[in-house]
Amino acid sequence: MISLLQALVDGVLNGGVYGVIAVGLSLVFGVLGIVNFSQAQFLMIGMYVAWFIWHATGIDPIIGAFAALVVGGAIGALLYSCLIRHVADASVLAQIFVTVGLIAVLENLALIFLGADYRSVKTSYQTEAINVASVLVSKPYLIAFTAAIIVSVLLSLLLNRSWLGRAIRATAQNEAASTAFGIDGLRTKSLAFGLGTGLTAFGGGVILPYASVNPTVGSQYIVLMFTVAVLGGLGSTMGALVGGIIVGIIQSVSTLFLPVQMKDLALFVVFIAILAIRPQGLLAGVSR
Amino acid sequence: MKQALIVTVLVALGSLVAGFVFDANSYPIRVLCIVLLTASMGQAWNLVGGFNQISLGHSAFFGIGAYVTTVAQVKFGLNPWLGLPLAMIASVLFALILSVPTMRLKGPYFALATLAAAEACKIAASVMGITGGPQGLSVPFVGDSWAMMQFRYPGTYVPIFVGLFAISSIVFAWLVSSRVGYFLRAVRDNELAAEVAGVATFKTKLFSSIVSAALMAVCGVLFAQFTYFIDPETVFSIPNVSIRAALVVIIGGVGTLVGPLFGALLIIPLEELLNASLSDSVGGLPPLLFGALLIVVVLLKPAGLTSIRVPRMGGRKS
Amino acid sequence: MFSRFFSAALTVVALSLSHTGAFAQETVKIGVVVPLSGPNAQFGANIRNGLEVATKEINERGGISSLKGAKVELVFADATDPAKAGVAVQRLVSRDRVVGVVGSFISNITLAASEVTERLGVPMITHSFADQITERGYRNIFQVSPKASVIGAATFDQAAALGNLAGEKISKIALLWEDTSYGTAQSKGIRDAAKRAGVEVVVDEGYPPGITDVTPLINKVRASSAQLIFPVSYVNDAMLIIRALRQQQISTPIVGGAGGYIIPDFGKALGDVADGVLSITPANYDANKEMADKYRATYGIWPSHETLLYTAGFQDLVQAIDTAKSTDPQKIRDAIASARYCVGFARALPNNCVAFDQNGLTSTGQPIMVQWQKGELVTVWPRTAGAQLIWRGSVVKE
Repeated sequence: MISLLQALVDGVLNGGVYGVIAVGLSLVFGVLGIVNFSQAQFLMIGMYVAWFIWHATGIDPIIGAFAALVVGGAIGALLYSCLIRHVADASVLAQIFVTVGLIAVLENLALIFLGADYRSVKTSYQTEAINVASVLVSKPYLIAFTAAIIVSVLLSLLLNRSWLGRAIRATAQNEAASTAFGIDGLRTKSLAFGLGTGLTAFGGGVILPYASVNPTVGSQYIVLMFTVAVLGGLGSTMGALVGGIIVGIIQSVSTLFLPVQMKDLALFVVFIAILAIRPQGLLAGVSR
Repeated sequence: MKQALIVTVLVALGSLVAGFVFDANSYPIRVLCIVLLTASMGQAWNLVGGFNQISLGHSAFFGIGAYVTTVAQVKFGLNPWLGLPLAMIASVLFALILSVPTMRLKGPYFALATLAAAEACKIAASVMGITGGPQGLSVPFVGDSWAMMQFRYPGTYVPIFVGLFAISSIVFAWLVSSRVGYFLRAVRDNELAAEVAGVATFKTKLFSSIVSAALMAVCGVLFAQFTYFIDPETVFSIPNVSIRAALVVIIGGVGTLVGPLFGALLIIPLEELLNASLSDSVGGLPPLLFGALLIVVVLLKPAGLTSIRVPRMGGRKS
Repeated sequence: MFSRFFSAALTVVALSLSHTGAFAQETVKIGVVVPLSGPNAQFGANIRNGLEVATKEINERGGISSLKGAKVELVFADATDPAKAGVAVQRLVSRDRVVGVVGSFISNITLAASEVTERLGVPMITHSFADQITERGYRNIFQVSPKASVIGAATFDQAAALGNLAGEKISKIALLWEDTSYGTAQSKGIRDAAKRAGVEVVVDEGYPPGITDVTPLINKVRASSAQLIFPVSYVNDAMLIIRALRQQQISTPIVGGAGGYIIPDFGKALGDVADGVLSITPANYDANKEMADKYRATYGIWPSHETLLYTAGFQDLVQAIDTAKSTDPQKIRDAIASARYCVGFARALPNNCVAFDQNGLTSTGQPIMVQWQKGELVTVWPRTAGAQLIWRGSVVKE
């Protein structure tokens, strides 16, 4: 029983973070209709930003994660307005494969300029855990989870209450109509893309206390990110969070009766099964 | 289409000639083999991708093909020519199983489900004892042998790869011009309307995925015989197999006969050129430039290389 | 017309045929097939550093004397996975005319590369551990490290011996292993050795190396009564595991299986959390302080095991070329097979020499045990004077 509780706690904490990492992907799809294959590279960018801030000033990566959000967002918005929008009218495949090219570009820029070493931070709470009735709650996980929830709430407020959020949702629903109403499509889309990449970069900063960064760290998370976003329903930001927590729980709980080696296998089987029953994902958002 | 067929035949013949004329133990010949293999992989993907079923799980079929013949060789001494139909059957069976949960899926959902399936295959291959696990399997060394589909130097493989390329192109050309192809185009353009018009959409899509799976499996078999060593990470690789197959088609022109060929002719030598000239310098420069050039190519020609039209007398579009 | 593109493509192909540095009497080229990008780029970079130091030294001393002072030139090929290894080897052999190859760090890449070097008849020297490397009956592949099964067995046996020294008899162990070639092979060695010694493996869990959350593994360890923990990991997973163990306040001695446990980043990232962690390794820099300090002066960090082993292998290859008085790869291969090389980086290896048996497996290599002590790796087995052993936080009195 304790081990089930422990697995659930670990799963939920991890899952919340997966949600924040994946929500950007979902957002980008919802607004722009493209699957950004390079999304995981922004995780890497965010981790590096938070690392450099920590290295230079000693500021905790959770705080640095907000800077990561801004930097990751800016880079994303720039990439959209300079590169990706040129294929906005072409096939979806072309848009996707521009992002595929970006994977190699971003990863190898990091390799060339930042080197191949694995960097990590040292924080005071990194190797600590809180004991709650013999369930060990890892402090870095808890802090990351809290940050993830806060940002999710902020995102929800942004999308529902702010002008930008309304502009994004309007553009997603009907671009022609929103342009007619004076919303600058290109600017909105760039900002939406930037918001998406910024959120993933934020996720990077948040996981830095327990993960290490290296140019290829994106490849560790990319499949997970996509699974979470698709499971939750692409375009649905709530779905990403829900998807994240479900994925976290499946991964964690499956290790109780399956070898840890197969936890991804368990996840994929469940994933395919859920899609078979609900092809648009759990909380289908803006339909595309 | 006729021009495309002519180009295909010319390339096939040209490759055969090159295979005879050039030194069998040479780098350009090895690259030629890889080009032909990748073009065939692309053509296999094209059979579904060309009709808007964007699959990212083709590495599953590739890997199944590679493993079936190699395991049969290593454990049972079965020669790969006989193992080939077994590989195709295994791959088709997996495609059938996979079609059940994925047929209703669209767009990125379909793509991700196929990706998950391929990853699941990779994990399964890693944990199963019979596949040799993560340490991989070596194709037993026999020097030069047509019976065992294995040769010391790449030059001798050229006819086999030309054959694979020719067959994959013929299969695609046939499918496109057949009734099934007609239904596939209807499904691609508007699945709901096609369904209403009486097209058996499920059976149509299933048919093309089975053929695609079988062809991809053959590519996997030849890959194993050519590189002599396979492991789960390599043959079930999403970036190196699934994405690469789709990539050459997208660069070349989705849904066209020569798209995969043109894509492969651009991508593979380009990558090799970058590696050959820049490996000595900063690590990471070749893949960086490759990615950048890829972006440029897609931006310049989003519909693929085949969309490049040279003005002709009379201004007729081909 | 379409043929325009065809001819353009042919031109590109032909361009990759040509090479500005034609085969000259004055240079002997050696191919290096290692990961220079991707997740193992760091190891490729370390190997490259060592090889460049050695090449500079050889050329400054006058090159290969028996070939009239021919200079040695390294030709690099980036191989991040087995599929790329074959074409890289072909290019190095056919286009660059290398007379020998060193590489490829990752066992599976080495396996793929050596399939091609065997067929093309060019000798290859590797440090990769996989047993199969020298079990295929091939003549052109040479392994300077002991095999994975031997390393695995030594990990257990030496750890148990150290436990004895510290007064602790080991009867239960936990085994965590990344599930690619390296972890699978080595953990098998540990498992079999434990079985032979009648020791129970109470936790035996493989995991994917890209794992992002190791708490399920550590939960199992915590719930067990293991007296030693044997994690076989790469870099990222090693750090996750060590941190998670500390988090759950598990003070059981940790015996890493080389890989991520013996690279400088491990110590840099974990700081004093790394102290006391033991690991098996095929070679450690403290066997030759003078060489290590020289390396440290240039690169700011001590030479890791892959630097030592590949550079020693490379120097062995160069010496073989000198002995063979020829650039014929087969003559060089014969010289490697029969030579025993005891200078250069070989002096930092166990038994101070590089030599091979009739299968190409090292006949001098031997796994040793090291321990992290204040950011340095100290050899603790075989026991030498002055090497302290720290067990559960205190120095062991012998």
